[in-house]
Amino acid sequence: MRRLPVYILIQTSGAMRGEPIESIKVGLEAMVASLRQDPFALESVYMSIVTFSREPEQLMPLTELEDLQIPVIQQPTASGTHLGEALEYICKKVDEEVQLTTPDKKGDWMPLLFIMCDGRASDVQLFNQVLPEIKRKHFGSIVACSVGAKTDIENLKKITDKIVSLDTTDSGTFRQFFKWVSVAVSVGNRSVGATDEILLPPPPPEVHSVI
Amino acid sequence: MDVAKYLSSIDIPAENDEEAKKFLSEKEAAIKESILKHWEEYSLTNPQPDKVIAVETPAIPLVKEAPNQPEEEKNETIIANPVSVITGIQNSTPPQPAILLETKQNDAFDRQIKSKTIIMPNGKANVEYKYLFRIEELGLTDIADYWFEGFNKTGLSFNFSTNEITGVPIIAGDHKIKLKIKRKDWIEGKPIFEREITLIINPDPKTLWKNIPTPNEIEYFKPDCAKSFIRVKAVTNVLGFGKNARKDIVAASQRGRSHAQEGKPRDDDFALKYLKEFDWYIITVADGAGSAKSSRKGSEIACNTVMDVCENLIRVKHTEFERLIKEFSNDKTGEKRKKMGDSLYHIIGTSVFKAVKNIEEEAKLKGKPLKDFSTTLIVSVCKKFKFGWFVGAFWVGDGGIGIYNKETQFLKVLGESDGGEFAGQTRFLTMPEITQPTELYRRLRFDIVDDFTALILMTDGVTDPKFETDANLMKVEKWNELWKDLSKEVDFSDDNEASADQLLKWLDFWSPGNHDDRTIAILF
Repeated sequence: MRRLPVYILIQTSGAMRGEPIESIKVGLEAMVASLRQDPFALESVYMSIVTFSREPEQLMPLTELEDLQIPVIQQPTASGTHLGEALEYICKKVDEEVQLTTPDKKGDWMPLLFIMCDGRASDVQLFNQVLPEIKRKHFGSIVACSVGAKTDIENLKKITDKIVSLDTTDSGTFRQFFKWVSVAVSVGNRSVGATDEILLPPPPPEVHSVI
Repeated sequence: MDVAKYLSSIDIPAENDEEAKKFLSEKEAAIKESILKHWEEYSLTNPQPDKVIAVETPAIPLVKEAPNQPEEEKNETIIANPVSVITGIQNSTPPQPAILLETKQNDAFDRQIKSKTIIMPNGKANVEYKYLFRIEELGLTDIADYWFEGFNKTGLSFNFSTNEITGVPIIAGDHKIKLKIKRKDWIEGKPIFEREITLIINPDPKTLWKNIPTPNEIEYFKPDCAKSFIRVKAVTNVLGFGKNARKDIVAASQRGRSHAQEGKPRDDDFALKYLKEFDWYIITVADGAGSAKSSRKGSEIACNTVMDVCENLIRVKHTEFERLIKEFSNDKTGEKRKKMGDSLYHIIGTSVFKAVKNIEEEAKLKGKPLKDFSTTLIVSVCKKFKFGWFVGAFWVGDGGIGIYNKETQFLKVLGESDGGEFAGQTRFLTMPEITQPTELYRRLRFDIVDDFTALILMTDGVTDPKFETDANLMKVEKWNELWKDLSKEVDFSDDNEASADQLLKWLDFWSPGNHDDRTIAILF
């Protein structure tokens, strides 16, 4: 079986503190419930949830959708938004967890990365250093979801051109967002969002991407 | 106690102990009631500090204090439901002090239950579920009894004697299960605690797949499945007795479930031909890229072009081609090999080159990028000679082609799969480098082999589930498994027309996560 690794990176500090975190949990649960209705997702999606404020933390390693239960997301105790460190951490996890094709091993689909943050990075230098590394990881798709009014879209643009923004942070909004993520993960080419039309190329089983 | 002294101090003229005792015994009930009333009023505004601490420290077993408070255990006036127990302090009627204490204990206990992480592993519809629930692992003390509510609809049940949740879940979804707990010394009227746990039952993926027919009106419509059988009749031998069976070709192609789910067309294709006059077989399969919009046309053009061009060239060149094959059979090295290869290159190479040109033309005609027609391609031309079978092949992309002999355990895979780092990555016929002469030549394979059980051409919809890795494609054990599996459903006896239907049915095999279009062609 080929796995489709899906990484979800969630900022818990800054604009994400408080209500957004609570809403995200509701949204994640709705997303997973929706993905469970998709037979392809059920047989291929492996998901990992990483949160970060000052430090990144993997709340859930790559876990098969079938066995997955959304973990509790804690409010951060320390301040600081180390987006650079978090992205570096994601790269490390991808190296550790994503299986590449070898003569003896079946490779995973290209991983997907969803980032939910306000776009700010307190560790500017590291952030800039890690950008080329992220590009080298061959994510099938990176989608950044900017949350709150005071977001740094320019920073997010450095990571990906697929950016959506959420103006409100209630659970209804997040539910909608994650519903879309589930569609993006399972079905593919759909458009959404406040910014541009997004054409996500998630790889259903028959997709051959061009080397 | 000096009762008389006390009474006189509050201006009651009881002269001696005798009189005081008499007064007390006569008025005992009224006095007791009065004192109790005042005591209660007093204790409400002055809670006893040591007990409050005990309540707020969940580490100390709460109910252990109960023996010090015998009255509260017997108190029948306790508020009946747990909600009002929890919110007892806000009640309009001031609660009794003993109740107040218990309220706090219950409150703490309730918080404790709610804060525990209680996980039941996810289940799967129609698959046996078993989970040992150990309530003691929650670290809750003084539990007298517990049970679950909400299992009845799920098909699961809780067995109290074994502490197991077992059964076969019938309904998929997020089920809300209630864990109910009675604390020690529970009697009617005391609260029953409750904790909601979500039990996730995954649907059986097999029940989720839909089979939506491809709409007829789409561009480049292609039927959702296809099959073909070419019978090559047995010949009577020279002396007029006995029959020599000759190999037939069977092929089938089935739209993948991932396409069926969305009503999308099949991208795979194949073509077969037997040239009766020359006794040549031509077989080809192609897999249109799932990510390319018009790849189903790409695979179709590729198969048909290769078929036509190979046929024509064999018709024209067969005398010389077969002479070179014969010479090659005597000397498989050096010059003879080179000449033989050049001749095969001329036939297959030309057909492949022409296929690309035809696809380019179609793209230009429709004003679409060439990439939209991306397809893989596997071609084979073969013929039986006195000295053995000649098999020539060309392969670009994933999938696989091999000559397999069940008896001798001979296996020859005719090329290499083009895979990338990640799943789904491969090379396509339409990539510019493929039609470079050296690249074309590099991808040619040919050999003369003894008789074989089967020559099999497959797209990755078959090789992915059946071989999984490139290394496995080279292992004869895996081909044995494949052949065994095929033979269960397909009757490979000579001239069996029904084998096409049988093969198409076989293609519907179940393999989790492998739901690509599947195409297989077999010379047997």
